[in-house]
Amino acid sequence: MKLWVTLEGRDTEVDVRLEGGHLVLETDGRRLDADFHRLPDGEVYSLLVNGRSHEVRVSPASQGVDVTLHGVRLPVEVRHPLEKLVQASKRAAAGGGGETVAAPMPGLIVALRVKPGETVAAGQAVAVVEAMKMQNELSARHGGVVSAVLVRERDAVSAGQPLVRIRPA
Amino acid sequence: MTRIRRVLIANRGEIAVRVIRTLRELSITSIAVFSEPDRASLHVLLADEAYPIGPGPAAESYLDLERVIATARAQKADAIHPGYGFFAESVAFARACEEAGIVFIGPRSDIIAALGDKLAARAAARRAGVPMVPGTEAPLATLEELRAAARGIGYPLMLKAAAGGGGKGMRRVAREAELESAWSLTRGEAQAAFGDARIYAERAIERPRHIEAQIVADAHGRVAFLGERECSIQRRHQKLLEETPSPAFDARLRARFAEAACRIAKQVGYLNAGTVEFIFEDGEFYFLEVNTRLQVEHPVTEMVTGLDLVAEQIRIAEGAPLSFGDAPPAPRGWAIEARVLAEDPAAGFMPSVGRIERVRFPQGPGVRNDAGVYRGFEVPVYYDSLLAKLVVWAGDREGARRRLLRALDEFVLEGVSHNLAFHRWLLTHPEFVAGNLSTRFLDEHFDPAALQAGPESAEVALFAAALHEREERMRIAVAEPNGSQARSSWKWPERRRSGVRELR
Repeated sequence: MKLWVTLEGRDTEVDVRLEGGHLVLETDGRRLDADFHRLPDGEVYSLLVNGRSHEVRVSPASQGVDVTLHGVRLPVEVRHPLEKLVQASKRAAAGGGGETVAAPMPGLIVALRVKPGETVAAGQAVAVVEAMKMQNELSARHGGVVSAVLVRERDAVSAGQPLVRIRPA
Repeated sequence: MTRIRRVLIANRGEIAVRVIRTLRELSITSIAVFSEPDRASLHVLLADEAYPIGPGPAAESYLDLERVIATARAQKADAIHPGYGFFAESVAFARACEEAGIVFIGPRSDIIAALGDKLAARAAARRAGVPMVPGTEAPLATLEELRAAARGIGYPLMLKAAAGGGGKGMRRVAREAELESAWSLTRGEAQAAFGDARIYAERAIERPRHIEAQIVADAHGRVAFLGERECSIQRRHQKLLEETPSPAFDARLRARFAEAACRIAKQVGYLNAGTVEFIFEDGEFYFLEVNTRLQVEHPVTEMVTGLDLVAEQIRIAEGAPLSFGDAPPAPRGWAIEARVLAEDPAAGFMPSVGRIERVRFPQGPGVRNDAGVYRGFEVPVYYDSLLAKLVVWAGDREGARRRLLRALDEFVLEGVSHNLAFHRWLLTHPEFVAGNLSTRFLDEHFDPAALQAGPESAEVALFAAALHEREERMRIAVAEPNGSQARSSWKWPERRRSGVRELR
């Protein structure tokens, strides 16, 4: 099974197949023996690659899966070659989407720094959320024009709740 | 001597668990208190008794003085251990205990009051002849007074709130032009934060180490020094990693340091466990403040001395002499503590809450875990982000450093963001390895990009994702009726569970 795996914007082709009851990975012209064993802990696997032992968590995410390795979370997208084509054409047609700034954790909106219609730069703070006795600035990743502010100051928000929508300028 | 039989722990999290452990070993009944979201917290599960004290916000539960005291009275506690934070350094709380006839396991309220005021503490240090950063002796009444003082002190200087502490209410002034605005800003902040606008000035030390002395004092006039702790690795004035001894100290310096710390304690008639904090630069240490409580980082001292500091606190509170009499145990080896926090160092140390989906604590030789969490536990939003303290001991610093790295590799913690990868970065940084530390370490060396996965991890993640994807597709294919999987394998994504990219 050939798959396109995308990590940090880089596509890699990985061929996964069963040979004589053993999993084999092929990528960049290399051939690696693999063993992928689900632990009783749910989404956690023991992965052996040419005998090297890794413990990884693979959990569903909004885009593909999150792979957690030694406490570092890596978002990975996996696609079949055909899906990759479909994806590319859709992306070209849409011309790039906007972004939504969401609360990373439950907390209290202490301040809103932007209003609808306002232009924000990449990295500009849009809201301040207080949680665990700390105030945290949330900023726009790409920037654009604020299309909607979905909460008010002093609102309690839950994790993942959208706060501000931004469309491309 | 009062025999203590029932102790209420006015705290939560790992420190409440820590105190309960010693109480159990001493056959003293432990009484936990808990807020509503802490009903399933570890300290409630481990205590002999547990009583609710109100809703989640600390001000309505753990900081509700009357309710905590009323609970202690109702449950016939003969002593209260305050832990750290909350009421640990509250004059009002210590006084309320005294008035209720309950032993406060810590210093008397008047000592807490005298040391809580920075100017009073500096005056005590001055009387004891302990070196301190050059600065003003009395609060500054006017801007003119500050100007005059600044000419003597020189720039850069620090303006500090007399009632301040924990890094709040202080401001660096680089040149005279900034003096006027800094004066009004710092006074305003001090008034707002502490209800006390008194400020003083001292010379700014630009690249200090933070080194503190653990002392214990009993009711029989003994004051013992139990070694120093180096706590220079900080962010936003919060300590992240501590070790003992300090790589900056030798035996001669340690002897001078011990003597200075004990002189201050004797000067104020200190009782119980306490920490004298100093800053250290170019071979000289300067008095900073006294913390009249058990510190978060006390386990490193326990690891090298073999003492149980909570047990010593209880002995002292009972009026008994220190367990070691006049001969404190000679520290042996090296200990390092890593604070495991629910926060994301790659995103500006943003705190994180959630459910501990999975945890596996490191074990093995020389490893101690002081944790307040377990699998399935929901980290509440109301309290600080300390999940656990990972402490290691080894014969020397390099051995301890390698052991801590090994333990961090073993540590599995999922469900919330945490700083395990940050600690791995820190412990392998050449300047840390060399022992070249300062409170500016993170400003000078830390780049969040350093926490990104290396190429090997990235490749492992790719493989894991691909293997997982294949497994999912196979699973769905097997579940598909009528063998339709034989025809088209790329229709299935539409039916896959959430999280795997769908065709739309």
